[in-house]
Amino acid sequence: MKLQRRDFIKGLVAVPVLGYFAIGAKGNILKQVDKKTIDYYKRLKIDRLEAPLEKLTPPTGTKGKRIRIGLVGCGWRGQALLQKFGYFHTDVIEQHTKNGKPSTWLLNQMAQEDLNVEVTGICDVFDVHTQRGVDISRHNIYPGNKHEPKTAEVFQSYRDMVKSDNIDAIMIATPDHTHAPMAIAAAAAGKHVYLEKPMAQSIEAAIALRDTIKQSNVVFQVGHQNRQQMSYKVGRELFQKGLLGDVTQVETFTNRNTVDGAWIRDDVRDHKLGNESNINWKEFLHDAPWVEFDRKRFFSWQRYSEYGTSVTGNDFAHWFDCVNQVLDLGIPESVMALGGQYYYKTHGDMPDVLNAIFSYPERKLSMTYDATLKNGNFRQSRILGSEATLDLDSAIRMYKDRYSEKFGDVKLTGEEPLYYYEPNTDIDAISTATSRTYFKGGYGPTFIDGKILDVTFLHVKEWIDAIRGEGKPSCDIDKGFEESVTFNLANLAYVHKKPVRWDRVNEKAIIG
Amino acid sequence: MKHNHISKPGYTTLQTVGLTILRVMIGWHFLYEGLIKFSTPGWSAKSYLMASVGPFSPLFKSLAASETMLQITDVMNMWGLVLIGLGLFLGFCSRISAFSGLLLLTFYYLSYPPFADFAMTGFVDGNYWIVNRNLIEMGALFVLMIFPSGHLTGLDRLLCFRKRNHGKEPVQN
Repeated sequence: MKLQRRDFIKGLVAVPVLGYFAIGAKGNILKQVDKKTIDYYKRLKIDRLEAPLEKLTPPTGTKGKRIRIGLVGCGWRGQALLQKFGYFHTDVIEQHTKNGKPSTWLLNQMAQEDLNVEVTGICDVFDVHTQRGVDISRHNIYPGNKHEPKTAEVFQSYRDMVKSDNIDAIMIATPDHTHAPMAIAAAAAGKHVYLEKPMAQSIEAAIALRDTIKQSNVVFQVGHQNRQQMSYKVGRELFQKGLLGDVTQVETFTNRNTVDGAWIRDDVRDHKLGNESNINWKEFLHDAPWVEFDRKRFFSWQRYSEYGTSVTGNDFAHWFDCVNQVLDLGIPESVMALGGQYYYKTHGDMPDVLNAIFSYPERKLSMTYDATLKNGNFRQSRILGSEATLDLDSAIRMYKDRYSEKFGDVKLTGEEPLYYYEPNTDIDAISTATSRTYFKGGYGPTFIDGKILDVTFLHVKEWIDAIRGEGKPSCDIDKGFEESVTFNLANLAYVHKKPVRWDRVNEKAIIG
Repeated sequence: MKHNHISKPGYTTLQTVGLTILRVMIGWHFLYEGLIKFSTPGWSAKSYLMASVGPFSPLFKSLAASETMLQITDVMNMWGLVLIGLGLFLGFCSRISAFSGLLLLTFYYLSYPPFADFAMTGFVDGNYWIVNRNLIEMGALFVLMIFPSGHLTGLDRLLCFRKRNHGKEPVQN
């Protein structure tokens, strides 16, 4: 049998179509590939950002000796800090154990890197919290921890704790008015310091603390855990690559609408147990003017300017540190602030409506801070540039400006972000509105090196690693100084109802 | 007709034309998709796999997580699309090509199953529930498997002829 001409022709019937395909496809493929590769990403050098490629630093806990920690202030924040080392109160362990099985949350905590730390000292002015700290120090949940549980020593005052030879480093999570004095005492005694934000209640205290730290050899970290949030690192890279153009406005916000959110906390958690007999009132007052024992002042101290730092120190300090990470703003030249206490009049003198303007003439920009304690609509920080606008929280959305030259030929509608960064960190798993805001703001988990990790853990780890000689703390004394001076200028402006200038040379606030 | 035996199962001319057009169209689509991937610098299925949804997403995500597996997936995907595309286009090994295409599409389908529970986050044009374009193309390939046309209007015709020729008639010297 022979191959017939008919077979041949029929067998090759699709070949001419393939020929047409071959001629036409090349041009079309190139066109389509051009469109798909979104070449402006390349052109703008954002096709491959460096920040998200950051790797976790290797564990230091396995080498060197255990670091002995003393905690001053064992309230909710202090207890949360101890959890980063694997130390949990039995209450918490029980609450997260059902039928002998740990919850997913607890399992995640157990899987955390062991920073090889032991809690050797606890100091609190409220006995109930002191006892909680003691219990916590005995319960390390890490499966690999083979150390015999030891009970932390109780110190009546931080002044005694800093003298102890059994403590290498001190964590401070106390009311704001005691931050700087305690950190100064600790550093002067050669103890490393992790100091919760805000760094200092006044500009004078910030200067004194900075000078002490600069003269010491201790490792100092301010507890702005948002330094570890990947989105701010991405934001910084976008800014540094010039994608925003000329930045003229920076907006920061506080929106809260709950009694707890307004820092009225007389009866939350175990505060009901507090009374004159189990609170060391004198030690709490520290250098503040003497007043008779008052539960409200003790448990809602944030609202009293004698002990707290207003909405600015409590919340703006965070947002400022976030935008400061991105833009390196530093201290403003002048600040104006207006507002008042109109609603929560039962506690202290904290304003519940406040608007502040921070002027940076050298940077040709202004930063604003709008705060209300009577509206819960979360607003993320925003950086407005001539080329693009950056919305900033635990995610990043960069929108091109309508009149942008740089992005002029990028075909996007105004609603579609030019650049978007939001790793899935399971924010939806968070139940309450306040904690949603907390997580959205970037205080919760972050995404690094393919892992979802708690930012406070990373921040504490950075400090511990630095104590062991690896790396440096990211929120050092200079960053803390910028934070403290900036919000304190706003507080002075609010109190005096006058603009306040910062005299950089003499390091003084000039009112009016 | 002399070659009646290879026309089995005996399509009408219109049926043959119809099946051939369907085959060439799907071949065209596969080939084009494959060539696009070859032409895109640094193309990888990674982001596609990473964003996978549904009950099988852990499997697809694990493929993306391993460098080696990802490389294998990428190579198989690119070459798979091109070879299946050429096979269908030219009617070469058309049954195996149709089957392989079906297999490949099954993976695409399972990595983003169009069930209401899984919010589609990507850019999807149109609205689908269970039946989407992948599934329809899979159906078409299934038809091409049971009603092959390569032996009529493709290179398989030449291959069939040679095979039969080879088997039936001893080589003459």
